[in-house]
Amino acid sequence: MAMIEAEHLRKHYRSGDARVMALDDVCLTIEAGAFVVLAGRSGSGKTTLLNMLGALDRPDAGALRIAGHDLLAMNADERAAFRLHHLGFVFQAYNLIRVLSARENVAYVLQLRGMGRRERLSLADHWLAEVGLAEFADRRPDQMSGGQQQRVAVARALAAKPDLVLADEPTANLDSHTGAELIDLMRHLNEREGTTFVIASHDPAVIASARMLVTMQDGRIVSLEER
Amino acid sequence: MLALAWRNVLRHARRSALTMLAVALGLCALIFLWGFNDGVHNAMMRNLQEVIVGSLQIHRQGFFHHPRLSDELPNPARVHALLRQRGLDRYADRLRTFALAAGADVSEGLVLLGVHPALEMRVTRLAQKVAKGRFLRDNDEAACVLGRTTARNLGVSVGDSLVLLSEDRYGALAAERVRLVGIIDSGEMGIDRGLAIVPLGFLQRMLAMSGRISGVVLQLPRARLEQETMALRTALGDGYEVLRWYDMYPMMKQWVELEDGFYYIFLSIVLLIVAAGIMNTVLMSMLERIHEFGVMLALGCRPWRLAGMVVIEAMILGFAGVLLGACAGLLLVSYFHDAGIDLSHQMTTITRFYIEPVVRTEINTEHLVDTVCSVLLAAVLASVWPALRAMRLEPVEAIHHV
Repeated sequence: MAMIEAEHLRKHYRSGDARVMALDDVCLTIEAGAFVVLAGRSGSGKTTLLNMLGALDRPDAGALRIAGHDLLAMNADERAAFRLHHLGFVFQAYNLIRVLSARENVAYVLQLRGMGRRERLSLADHWLAEVGLAEFADRRPDQMSGGQQQRVAVARALAAKPDLVLADEPTANLDSHTGAELIDLMRHLNEREGTTFVIASHDPAVIASARMLVTMQDGRIVSLEER
Repeated sequence: MLALAWRNVLRHARRSALTMLAVALGLCALIFLWGFNDGVHNAMMRNLQEVIVGSLQIHRQGFFHHPRLSDELPNPARVHALLRQRGLDRYADRLRTFALAAGADVSEGLVLLGVHPALEMRVTRLAQKVAKGRFLRDNDEAACVLGRTTARNLGVSVGDSLVLLSEDRYGALAAERVRLVGIIDSGEMGIDRGLAIVPLGFLQRMLAMSGRISGVVLQLPRARLEQETMALRTALGDGYEVLRWYDMYPMMKQWVELEDGFYYIFLSIVLLIVAAGIMNTVLMSMLERIHEFGVMLALGCRPWRLAGMVVIEAMILGFAGVLLGACAGLLLVSYFHDAGIDLSHQMTTITRFYIEPVVRTEINTEHLVDTVCSVLLAAVLASVWPALRAMRLEPVEAIHHV
């Protein structure tokens, strides 16, 4: 079953008087349960594509279906609801909410989904334990290392059992050892939970972990490698 | 959402505390000013009613504006019975006419008021305003109390005699010599000049008005004024006029309303300042968190929820400020209600308006509620623009905002 069906996606930006083609006729199909890495240099279009897949941005042209939902037919509110119920995000800069503890950060998405307090905190504790941070549940982001924060971000992304987790350069701010641990964790969760992962990265360790490698250049997919 | 908003408020605790203090200070000042304003106004209105006018007066229809001796109160016994039936026992009969008072060398026109001394003392504070001598007693006959200015103009002092000249019920000249037993110094020109008070029975005999009165004055609690007025008007019918104190002296009520209007304008200006302070804090807080808002939107937070959080943050600041400001303001009002603010040096020329030289602050509930609600509303309104800005954020742009 296809998790992602992207057809002829195009997106351009204006930079001064120049017209920059960020995505140029991108077609991509990703099956459910895949562990995909979007590779390419900075400016190759991988973050733009990730934003499209994350229902954060809209293409100028093309068609995009995720988990059977037509993203282009949705308005802003519907896209927000779609993100809440189907997607999980891991950002390069962790992006945890500063005033919330690790447990509350993980529980935040569950709260947005309307889950009761006791249930969501219990689930948050479960996921913190899954990423090896059970004893850090009450710590605020500024009391944790970068690697620990990124693990919390992974727990937050997975706690609501999304269909698809999108990660943008998740290891960019981590040392190689911590980055490798994070990738192992995501691979492990991908295999155990069956959650689809799409990771944009130019980190060789991440690229090496891919089961499907999509290489981009100048807004185009230049190679697609199944492993 | 409330917990998150609360933590966001605490994120910059000093800035939030300063904003809350500004709100509290503004509200405290407003409550104190209302307390001063209401203290002056309520004292004025109380004095007017308690010194001589009463809360209500009942006369024959048209008597108050065109008083004539012959327009006596119809069927006083029926009026008395009705008042007793409604549980209104603080009332007194009065007979009123015009007269000429003659001293040794000078004469002066005045209002001659016949009162039942014991009953009058239950209804008004005229007796307490006697500065020299004493007020009338029930067994007095040809006795008189004058205002300070009238006594001075006539050249009489306590113990002296003077002659009162008037017309009786049949239009015949009526003249009586009376002894001045007391001089009133009320500070109110309408009482101190042009008023002579004599025993009701004496005046009735002098004017051939035995058993007849001009009207009834009564005192009742403020909360019952409107209700009793309507009830008495309905029960007595067209032949009578039932006048509230402000029907008789509308200028004072209009003056109070005018001053209240001025205070509401002042309130609006302070509210604008309060709203600007809150908006500044909320907007700064919102602009600092655009990146975080972008993350929250990406995670699936609906824009309206984000806007709601911004509004709640402003409301927390507003509520905290209101709580502190209301407590401080009410404490000030309470303190100066007991201690009083002595303005006697500044008020020598306006005591005639029934203003007390020592102002005791008090605040009317409606003014307190209006002010508190307005500050809370200002807090909410101040958050509308920042909330709209948060609501209109695009997730991608917001996430990349530095």
